[in-house]
Amino acid sequence: MSEQRAGWTQGLYHAVLWLIALVFFAPVFWIILAAFKSSGDLVSPEFRFFFTPTLDNIGKVLAAPNFNIRLTMSFVMSIGSVLLAILIAFLAAYSFSRYRPTGTNFIMFLLLSVRMVPAPAVLVPLFLMYSALGWTGSFLGMLFFYVMFSIPFSLWILKGFLDGVSLRFDETALVNGGSRLHAIFRVVLPQVKPGLIAAAIFNLIFVWNEFIFNYILGGQTTTMIPYIFATGLKQGGATDWTFIAALSTIYVLPPIVMIYLFQKYLLVGMTFGTVRGEV
Amino acid sequence: MADIRVERLRKVFGPVVALDDVDFSFPDSSVTCLLGPSGCGKTTLMRIIAGLEVATAGEVFFGERNVTGLPPRKREIGMVFQYPVVYKGINVRENIELPLKSEKLSAAERRRRVDEVIEVLGLAAAADKDVGRLDNGTRQKVAVAREVARQPRIILFDEPITNVDATAKLQLKRAFKELTRRLSQTIVYVTHDQTEAMTLADQIALMRDGRIVQCDAPRTLYSRPADRFGGWFLGNPGMAFFDAELHGNGTFLTLVSALVPAPLAVDGPQLAPGRVTLGIRPEQVLVSTDRVPGAVPARLSRKSVQIGGQWLLSLTVPGLDERAFKAKVGPEQGARLPESGEVFVALPPASITLFGPEGDRLPASFPAASAVAAD
Repeated sequence: MSEQRAGWTQGLYHAVLWLIALVFFAPVFWIILAAFKSSGDLVSPEFRFFFTPTLDNIGKVLAAPNFNIRLTMSFVMSIGSVLLAILIAFLAAYSFSRYRPTGTNFIMFLLLSVRMVPAPAVLVPLFLMYSALGWTGSFLGMLFFYVMFSIPFSLWILKGFLDGVSLRFDETALVNGGSRLHAIFRVVLPQVKPGLIAAAIFNLIFVWNEFIFNYILGGQTTTMIPYIFATGLKQGGATDWTFIAALSTIYVLPPIVMIYLFQKYLLVGMTFGTVRGEV
Repeated sequence: MADIRVERLRKVFGPVVALDDVDFSFPDSSVTCLLGPSGCGKTTLMRIIAGLEVATAGEVFFGERNVTGLPPRKREIGMVFQYPVVYKGINVRENIELPLKSEKLSAAERRRRVDEVIEVLGLAAAADKDVGRLDNGTRQKVAVAREVARQPRIILFDEPITNVDATAKLQLKRAFKELTRRLSQTIVYVTHDQTEAMTLADQIALMRDGRIVQCDAPRTLYSRPADRFGGWFLGNPGMAFFDAELHGNGTFLTLVSALVPAPLAVDGPQLAPGRVTLGIRPEQVLVSTDRVPGAVPARLSRKSVQIGGQWLLSLTVPGLDERAFKAKVGPEQGARLPESGEVFVALPPASITLFGPEGDRLPASFPAASAVAAD
């Protein structure tokens, strides 16, 4: 009796969960469908489930001015800055975790607070700084911005992981004839691999989707795909929905694949490494 | 030569003196256990030997070589910690092989060494498993194997079997015994577990409050503790202590205590009349229901059976302070004794140890011992 009821309640739970998931997925589904619709099918008053798919929209996106440069930049900026940021954050987290300099907690808080300030609040000062340095529109300037942007979060995640690695690992490496660098990179680093992956994924998503700083600080050769959303939005006086849909579909694919492959690390990232679960 | 010598070694953590001018030598090719209660400085001493901790003052020598200023990696030592350090994501064999890779060894030689330690430590079944799937005991074996495979001249063990469960503990202890029998390295083994020390050590260095108070073979340390601390710390339970007095003049002394029916003649170079402490191991106290020669009446208040079938007795002796002391008797005799009531206790003179007012052992012999027994 009770077992039956338990089964029934569980069924209901699952149904509700599926429903919520589908509701959340609906806009994404709409966009993906729209990417393959003709303008007529898309703007028709009633929603058309059945239509003749077309690749015209995708073709139009691929032919858009500077699309290749933007896409390359999206990859280069995301991957480049995150790799650099993780290297720096890992070394910083190692120092904080192992040597515990006075004020560690305060410094950690300060670093994170950079990410707590809303973007518009720092946009103008940052633009002035970049102008003064002559970095606006430069590749390295943009890259360094994203490195800076990615360090705090990575540092927090990695510090959590490193605190969980016994000091005996370092000491064993040192006693076994290794140098400090050997201990850091060959012995301790492999122990926090899940943390490195979690930090990388999170920051890859952040940088991949970042628009406003890229738009203001970047130039012709350093802006990424989100920039096209802003500039390619209007076509002949009206919003070009099929273009937006096709571009979104293309742009959302890499993060979706990555998240699908590494989803177990997402929880780790969201909890700053305090919930490590099975990873 | 790879004996370890420390000279006037001192280590201070803020107001705490962890090592108090320690002078000591760990003999070459033997197992020395550093034994002592928590916080006595044994781990600090070991960490300074390893170079992981810098001494406040004093020097460390390996043979003739002064290593005081050397970083750990240049000391050519191996070390195993309480926490089993194994490298995740690679299997047991690779874990053992990892440090060998940075040494100038041929692949064949590496393989030979790895196979050898795997065999000695009984790791064959686990050799190709990922370390993530191993229990703590096996992980610790892997950590030990990794150090042994490097063949350093000195291996330091810092409470390596404290963190594993009881069965694994026994197994590890056996593996260590076998291992140390086959190795010719100088081994320092830190523990607070006396059974471990008794099983594994060639000699035990007993530590207390940042000093090494005694270093002897396990049996000697047990039967001839240098001071009251050694008597109390070793044994389970430790020595029982009683107040006693030495009477007489310079040439002829007798021991007077409520525990001996008649004054006992005693002989010893440093003895003088006055108060002393009489110590005896619980298992050496003779307890019976009959009045044997040399026995005094006592009250048995409780008895309980111990591991190995021995009985632990709580006794009080009239005329002595009312504090109960412990005695241990064999299974049959323990079963014969009443649950509580009047019994007789006798201290065989040969088992009595005398301590001076400072707590140090007074060399003493009881020439009339045989006479008492024959009485």
